[in-house]
Amino acid sequence: FPGLADVSISQDIPVEGEITVPVGSHSPDEDYSTLDEPVKDTIMRDLKAVGKKFVHVMYPRKSSALLRDWDLWGPLVLCVSLALMLQGGSADSKDDGGPQFAEVFVIIWFGAVVITLNSKLLGGTISFFQSLCVLGYCVLPLTVAMLVCRLVLLVGAGTISFIIRLIVVVAMFGWSTLASTAFLADSQPPNRKALVVYPIFLFYFVISWMILTFTPQ
Amino acid sequence: PCALTGSPPQALVDDTEDVSLDFGSEEELALRKARIRHPLATFFHLFFRVSAIVTYLFCDWFSNSFVACFVTILLLLSFDFWSVKNVTGRLLVGLRWWNQIDEDGKSHWVFEAKRVPTIAASTEAEARIFWLGLIICPVIWTLFLFSTLFSLKLKWLALVIAGISLQSANLYGYIHCKLGGQKTISRVTSRLFGTAHVPQRQSRRISEDGTEDHGKTVPR
Repeated sequence: FPGLADVSISQDIPVEGEITVPVGSHSPDEDYSTLDEPVKDTIMRDLKAVGKKFVHVMYPRKSSALLRDWDLWGPLVLCVSLALMLQGGSADSKDDGGPQFAEVFVIIWFGAVVITLNSKLLGGTISFFQSLCVLGYCVLPLTVAMLVCRLVLLVGAGTISFIIRLIVVVAMFGWSTLASTAFLADSQPPNRKALVVYPIFLFYFVISWMILTFTPQ
Repeated sequence: PCALTGSPPQALVDDTEDVSLDFGSEEELALRKARIRHPLATFFHLFFRVSAIVTYLFCDWFSNSFVACFVTILLLLSFDFWSVKNVTGRLLVGLRWWNQIDEDGKSHWVFEAKRVPTIAASTEAEARIFWLGLIICPVIWTLFLFSTLFSLKLKWLALVIAGISLQSANLYGYIHCKLGGQKTISRVTSRLFGTAHVPQRQSRRISEDGTEDHGKTVPR
């Protein structure tokens, strides 16, 4: 907000005087109206933002939506659906693959946090939550791969199904890594890019491995 | 139109408005008299938090499946976080906080408070419910953390930690809004330009308002 740089209001200005100061004339209008907007508008706005980000992941190019208006709803939904699809055992028993569910959860979130810390320690300019947002949203191709794998496994579990699953998972893994690298690598100095890309590669590799080696009980 | 002669009934004089001879419409008077002006927001503020806690405590009764409980509680916690942060905070106490990233990629945390109360502003009862709900629930989740650790039911640990982080994030954000921060703050009279029909009241309110207040941060 460059226009606000010369607006400074100190403590000893009489309170009545502030009424006529056009404060925030450069702020976008929504900063005033969103304090009082109807709840439905808030919900729709956030839902549309989440949808837009999913689209940006599928067609990765440098876009401000993922980076600037970050949110963690997409990663939450993707993480939960991936963990649900990856759980082993039957869904109704007491010992219903609970540990595996929590494991997938922890791997994804803890892995994303570690990658973010790594990139910040290497001097990246991206903020903590932005990085989590990008990494989480780029799990979308792998979630699609998991869905495809489960469908293929419904049909059969032989060599052909394994080859199909392998191809799908490798393709989606490449897509995820390229998508997240496109967003994250730019924030690093040029000689550090490989140091940042490698953990991301490893992160999606572990998830892809879990997907590929999944066998339903 | 009511005939108000002499001193107004006590119910009209509450902590947000000091109106004496005001012939407002019926709805405005009813709104001003009500102890809770946003019943739906108040309900939802407490509903998600309390349901998450109740589900956690009684998950064995609801379902045998750990996964179903985990997902349910997680979704309840997420909805609670979103609704407290985006809706009930601004409706019940007129505070809001968010994270903003400007063009050169720097991230700022912004804490905003609604300066000028209006007819539909919050009452003391609502504010009390808001703050009690905000403070008590993270404390309860911290107790759950210790009980999980000591009883070694570690599969719930991830969920409890998620619960604590989400709820304390809201608590921290709103306390920061309420107390102002170290950031330089410029006052924002947010409703001023929107409510043209009560100019005198607004100006009287501001000159009487001696409380410390704060508005949008100005990113440097």
